[in-house]
Amino acid sequence: MKNPLKARWMSSLIFLIALFVITGIIAPSFLDYTNIINCFNTATMYTLLAVGIAFVIMTGEIDVSIGATLGLTAGMTGLIAQQGGSIPKMLAVVLLTGAVIGLVNGLGVAYFGVPSLIFTLGTNSVIRGLIYLMSDGRTVENFGGVFAGLNSMTVFAGISVYYAIALVLVAVAHIVLTRTRKGKYFIAVGDNAGGANLVGISVFGTKVLAYVLCGLFAGMGGFVFASKYGQVMTVAGNGYEMTAIAACVLGGISLSGGMGNMVGAAIGAVIMSSISRLLVFIGLPSTYNNTITGVMLIVIVVVDALAQRRSIEMTRRKRLLSRTAEPTPEGGAKA
Amino acid sequence: MTMKTATAPRLQVKGIRKAFGQNVVLKGIDLSVDAGEVVALIGGNGAGKSTLMKIIMGIYTCDEGEILLDGQPVKLGKASASLAHGIYLVPQEPMLFPNMTVLENILMGFNEREADLRKRLVDCMAELNFTLNLQRKANTLSIAEQQMVELLRGMMRNARILILDEPTSSLTFNEVQALFKTVEDLKKKGIAIIYITHRLTEVFEIATKVAIMRDGVITLEGAVKDFTKEMLIQGLLPGGTEETCIKEEQCAPLDYRHLKPVLEVKDFSGYGFAHCTFNLYPGEILGIAGVVGAGRTELISTIFGRDKTLGGQVLLDGKDITGLSTKQILRAGINFVPEDRHYHGIFKIRSISSNTTSALLNDEEVGKVNMNNRKQREIADKYAKEFRTKIVSLDDLMGSLSGGNQQKVVIARALSTHPKVVILDEPTRGIDAAARGDVYNIIRQLKEAGVAVLMVSSDMEEVMELADRAITVFQGRINGEFSREEITQDTLTSAAFGIAHERKVSGE
Repeated sequence: MKNPLKARWMSSLIFLIALFVITGIIAPSFLDYTNIINCFNTATMYTLLAVGIAFVIMTGEIDVSIGATLGLTAGMTGLIAQQGGSIPKMLAVVLLTGAVIGLVNGLGVAYFGVPSLIFTLGTNSVIRGLIYLMSDGRTVENFGGVFAGLNSMTVFAGISVYYAIALVLVAVAHIVLTRTRKGKYFIAVGDNAGGANLVGISVFGTKVLAYVLCGLFAGMGGFVFASKYGQVMTVAGNGYEMTAIAACVLGGISLSGGMGNMVGAAIGAVIMSSISRLLVFIGLPSTYNNTITGVMLIVIVVVDALAQRRSIEMTRRKRLLSRTAEPTPEGGAKA
Repeated sequence: MTMKTATAPRLQVKGIRKAFGQNVVLKGIDLSVDAGEVVALIGGNGAGKSTLMKIIMGIYTCDEGEILLDGQPVKLGKASASLAHGIYLVPQEPMLFPNMTVLENILMGFNEREADLRKRLVDCMAELNFTLNLQRKANTLSIAEQQMVELLRGMMRNARILILDEPTSSLTFNEVQALFKTVEDLKKKGIAIIYITHRLTEVFEIATKVAIMRDGVITLEGAVKDFTKEMLIQGLLPGGTEETCIKEEQCAPLDYRHLKPVLEVKDFSGYGFAHCTFNLYPGEILGIAGVVGAGRTELISTIFGRDKTLGGQVLLDGKDITGLSTKQILRAGINFVPEDRHYHGIFKIRSISSNTTSALLNDEEVGKVNMNNRKQREIADKYAKEFRTKIVSLDDLMGSLSGGNQQKVVIARALSTHPKVVILDEPTRGIDAAARGDVYNIIRQLKEAGVAVLMVSSDMEEVMELADRAITVFQGRINGEFSREEITQDTLTSAAFGIAHERKVSGE
């Protein structure tokens, strides 16, 4: 049966532990319990974004508009909070906004067949523009009350409410993706779209649904952002999409689709959000942050791409070899 | 029409027509399959078999015509609709989910409880005598095992009509035998089977009925017992063409006794072909015939250094060029005009003159750093005139030319490097009749200039028209060699479909 040690997310977990241990050896104060738990708590937003975009990447597409979606929904949350709106109202607005953006992305990619990177780059700009229109180019601030306090609330053992909720969502998404029939459609479409079509799976519907889910998670990320920082600048969420994509890749999700799971994405998110903290403890200036994450991302993506290409080439060669493997008597072939 | 009679065939298609743009692929197809019947569908490349199957599978919709199941007209047009009607297609290259297990692959797309499905799967496997580890990843399976998975998928869907698209093309001999046993079992279960194949011998082994498709129509249909292989070959030949032995002798036949081969291929093996031996002489056009997937393209690509050599030797003018890189082989004097101009051949948004000289970019002739524009234009102009390429200006974009004229520029480019050997892969595919004549003339000019031409073509008439000699490739091996006098539609088609015409297979 399946060997859990061979699973791709397992190597991410080992990588995460190794990072922590090495940092702990260099700076023992890193291994303080509060510090470790904070590494996880601060990963909340990236976790939400990574799980959302994992659905899209699983189908073999990409979405670079999630950072902007997060910024827009964060701004909306802030504006509602300023007017003293309730939390259910905020959630309803961010989820609806996220779903609509996801729907637009999904239709553009699956119906019109525009390459997903290009299409979502376009929606990214549009959403950024909307943020400016909505806030008049000003930072949304001065909102608080119960809402802002939520961020510092913990469930138990120092785990924040938000991270606990995020973990529940990760678990649900993981089970949906790997254990349910319809959930496996996401993997099937990314693995072999033509084959999925042949067994009656709607490639179109699956991709649209993936984008809608991605938008929903980005919306939730926006809510957490507003709550955590108490102010939302117009550039909020800028570059978060890259971090989320990197988290997925680090967590063993293949950018060509069809491989990986949500636990991996969640682990990847923790790695990505911890790097700046690790650098501080190791004593490197945080200016290295982007370079290091970038290099890590490229290394992993290149290794993944090479492995994919190799496996495609191997199958092709295997197939061609079997054609000439044994001369059939009627072929009149000479041995 | 609405009457359902006991004798209605399981599947019947009537008057199916389908065109892609101007290209009419199916011109009114009628075909029927009964329960427990295996209909072998044969046809050359581009006959329209795959299009017809995709229509039945709901991947394409037909422009005209109707599909009846058990005498009832049905509307297909989505794969899920065809599946719901019990139609299942096993594609030529199995379409599994490589990263999933066998079990996941088989059960994907069902809405029942997994426990029930598993039970049915075990029953299906027992019935067909299949043993497969359900936990294996699909990308570790052999082609034969992948086909087993595909067949199980079909059985799990209670398929009543099974389409097998060239199922044996990538199987070894023993695997073919095992597959035939399975097909026999399925036949007994009353499943209607459409069996597409290029191998005529299989027709007599497995099919009850045979239908031959050529150029979008079914030319011949009937019970297998009423036919012989020779009759099937006749059905594959273009209608009305009496075998004419009169060939335009435009050039004197080559005197092989005094020629030294320019290209010697010795016991050459690679991915998709094995133990190929042939010689090519200066001023000769050697045609390579065969069906798609026979290994012709793989053979010439490997000679050109685009894939790995597995054994044997290629000598150019006695010099070993086996396993060199494409760049080195180009420099040694072999040039290649690929089959697909659009993907491998042209720079669409560059000018005609740049396209003509683009193979010379590393040459002193046009200047290594500072490109000599005048020289470029001179070369391009020379070829445009020689080849009667229809152009307004040499600065026009390559993409603005017609297919035939693009092909002329591509051949011109190949010539601009003064090669000893030119390899042409399907030189006139997708080119209109007028330009075709021009391309033929150009190929003859090459020959007169002493260039050796290796020409892969699926168009038997083209080989007859041009070739001094022809070899046929069947299942990755050279199975026939024909002198100019011996080349006829009949001999080439027979050999391409694997019917041996007791010919010498010479390796001199």
